[in-house]
Amino acid sequence: MSDPQLVFDGVNKYFGENHVLKDIDLDVEDGEVVVVVGPSGSGKSTLLRCTNRLEEIQSGEIRLEGVSLTDPETDINLLRQRIGMVFQSFNLFPHKTALQNVTLAPRKVKGIAADDAEQTARDLLQRVGLEQKADSYPHQLSGGQQQRVAIARALAMRPHVMLFDEVTSALDPELVGEVLSVMRDLADEGMTMLVVTHEMGFAREVGDRIVLMADGEKVEEAQPEEFFENPETDRAKQFLSKFLEV
Amino acid sequence: MADAFSETDPQTNTGLLTDRNVRLAGQVVAVVFAAAVLYLLYRIASLVDLGLLETIFPRFVDAYLLVLFIFVVGGVLSVILGVFVGLGRISRSTLTRGVTVGYVEFFRGTPLLFQLIVIYYGIPTLFGGPDFPIQNWEIPAAILGLTLNHGAYIGEAIRGGINSVPDGQMEAARSLGMSYIGAMREVVLPQAWRNALPAMGNDQVILIKDTSLLTVIAVPELLSQFRDVYSTTFDPWTPILLVAVAYLCLTLPLSYVVTYFERRASPGGDNE
Repeated sequence: MSDPQLVFDGVNKYFGENHVLKDIDLDVEDGEVVVVVGPSGSGKSTLLRCTNRLEEIQSGEIRLEGVSLTDPETDINLLRQRIGMVFQSFNLFPHKTALQNVTLAPRKVKGIAADDAEQTARDLLQRVGLEQKADSYPHQLSGGQQQRVAIARALAMRPHVMLFDEVTSALDPELVGEVLSVMRDLADEGMTMLVVTHEMGFAREVGDRIVLMADGEKVEEAQPEEFFENPETDRAKQFLSKFLEV
Repeated sequence: MADAFSETDPQTNTGLLTDRNVRLAGQVVAVVFAAAVLYLLYRIASLVDLGLLETIFPRFVDAYLLVLFIFVVGGVLSVILGVFVGLGRISRSTLTRGVTVGYVEFFRGTPLLFQLIVIYYGIPTLFGGPDFPIQNWEIPAAILGLTLNHGAYIGEAIRGGINSVPDGQMEAARSLGMSYIGAMREVVLPQAWRNALPAMGNDQVILIKDTSLLTVIAVPELLSQFRDVYSTTFDPWTPILLVAVAYLCLTLPLSYVVTYFERRASPGGDNE
């Protein structure tokens, strides 16, 4: 099977009457960073949430490394271990320290011994620059620090693909950079990433491909240079002009 | 804006109902109340028979220990039951949810006294009548009744606690590959627990006080002792004193325990 690592094949998703994903086809190759942009309500977050089945799709298929994610027979808990997700609102576990946030799933899901899980967690916290904050609780950390812990937490499961759902949108502007820089390092290390963001600078610099979504449809898919310099569709031109105005 | 204020102001801070007067009135009421209580206590103290107090003290100790036992067993069981009820109330299965709602509505919608009577008098006739195998059925019946009744209330408290945990917590845990039950146990319930603690603590205090109803199903608890003593001595105040002290020796320590748990359950053990 020479499927790309992550494949969306004619994906349709409805919320009641509302058709939020319309026939989405998308391939993500191993080590690729695909950035999904688009106005709010365009379905880009829903696309990510369907990728680890936080939302169910109504038709089509999503495959990770050739295995159907959307088949009801699939052990979704097993597959989710290969897909890391980082959320807009961090969703750190408030009753656990940064270190415990990172070690929880490896210990409980993979059954890794406490010592080993802790060692890995400390390494990961160091990678996101927070080794000193291991014993802090989330409410003692800034938004940027919380989000970096959340990234370390997702990485602790050694995922093959990482999903980033507007991870800087809830941050104070001066904290955005530290999170993007962690993501940039990840991309440089060859992590396969599907990123929903409004940070156009990041999209252009780090993205291997840009996907524009609007009204539940994939409107345009292009290399970053091409997308930002020479958009094909009117919808893309319109979308980009809004960012240039600011 | 200034007009809006001047229109509402006269109602709140002129005439007799000024903040100062209200505070003063409160203090007057408090003083009168305290004086009345002190006077009554003084009158009661003169009626307490110290000799009788000494004779009846042991039986009140026994009753106290029995109530403590029933409370601890019933309290623990009702919390365990309540966790399952709380989970059942939010189940995605209509059947599970329906059964749980029915249970909760029945046990919250009928009086505990009635439930105790159903269990104490009713159940033995279903299982052998005179040959009912359980001796001293009143104690298990009491624990069963209190557990079922308070399990319903605690279940609602736990459900409220679970609902107040943001959905993102479950999603984050599931996205790490944790099972629903694993995510519940490790992530959602510890937080729900903390949210539910005040309501659950409140309920456990009520459970202690509800043991007074057990007098109607022949449990030798504190009020039964009162009646026994009173019916032979016609002295109400001496046994009443012991009953009051015994209940407070149950409820006040419990309040401290609940406060301790609430403090311990907050993250980092300090603020928030």
